[in-house]
Amino acid sequence: MKRTLAFVLGGLLLGGVIHIAIVFMVPFYASHDAWAQMRRFGNDGRFHVLPAPVAGAEPLASLDPWMVHVVCRFSLADGPVRVRATFPDEFWSVAVFDRRGRNVYSLNDRSAERSGLDMAILTPLQMAQLRQDPPQSLETAIVLELPIVSGFVLLRAFVPDDSATALATGLLAGADCAAEL
Amino acid sequence: MRLLIDIAIAIAIAILVGIPTAWLAVERGNLFGAVTAGSWTAWPGAGSPEADPYSLAMLARTGEVPLGAGEGLSFTADTDADGMPLSGRCTYRLTGQTPAARLWTLTAYDAGGRLMVSPARRPGFHSREILRDPDGGFVVTVAAGVQPGNWLPVGLVDRFRLVLRLYDTPLTTGSSLAELVMPRIGRADCP
Repeated sequence: MKRTLAFVLGGLLLGGVIHIAIVFMVPFYASHDAWAQMRRFGNDGRFHVLPAPVAGAEPLASLDPWMVHVVCRFSLADGPVRVRATFPDEFWSVAVFDRRGRNVYSLNDRSAERSGLDMAILTPLQMAQLRQDPPQSLETAIVLELPIVSGFVLLRAFVPDDSATALATGLLAGADCAAEL
Repeated sequence: MRLLIDIAIAIAIAILVGIPTAWLAVERGNLFGAVTAGSWTAWPGAGSPEADPYSLAMLARTGEVPLGAGEGLSFTADTDADGMPLSGRCTYRLTGQTPAARLWTLTAYDAGGRLMVSPARRPGFHSREILRDPDGGFVVTVAAGVQPGNWLPVGLVDRFRLVLRLYDTPLTTGSSLAELVMPRIGRADCP
């Protein structure tokens, strides 16, 4: 009887291990995560304007219908990524996610303290190489050193009413995530 | 033989405990790091590099892209102030104040988290367009039928969900979440 009890306890412990293992593995096996869904917007390495979120046709889950969104899937394997964008004179924000959907950096227009976005994303190794010969063009840019290989950048711009949509969409369509450093 | 039975019991318990609890934790929304105020719940940690594994698993399953801490914070409400599920057959009044934020938007979703089909083609409200009382407060009426004032239309569904997104709010940068004041969702009329 005592021995059976020990096996029951062992089973409970093993159940906890299985629980933790499943929860940690979900992001690696999820086939319908944000990254996978973004493939249908187009090629990696450039920004794509997401269709306006309307009922029955939301490009991604839980997007704010009052925002224009653009996304760019990037890889740091072939070198750093430079992100440049201009926005309308309203609220805008930037979020950088890794391949598994973890938010690694975010910023809004007020903390950026300028009307445009100029940001460089580098791995720690690329950063170390860059430090030996820092290009002048990076002096005004936000430089992000992130320990990730691939991920995506999402830009949001607020549109207070329908008349502002065209301007915001036009400006965000010009966003670039493939520029040289 | 006894040993085999004991091992079988242990394995059965491990499977029966591990898999359903993991499924519940990921599918039913995560229990950790939630901040609640009245009917409203938010997960401030989900949009940060320190996001917990449950949040990441849930986001991977839904394909949702959370608001980063530097962007804002999103609050969700499934119930009214009395704890009853929000129903499209009832009329609700949102009253009070929102926490400090440069901009906020209020949107109605169905129980599955999809945007509500709205005959009025109005996805919700944002803080710039809302009609306010002289004291700065506001009332939003959530109902299926046409209402005067700030009307947020919903479909005639059994369950719906309200999402209040606060953009550029001090809540994400260490401001106290303990004394959080959110709008009250009062049920006004329910046939």
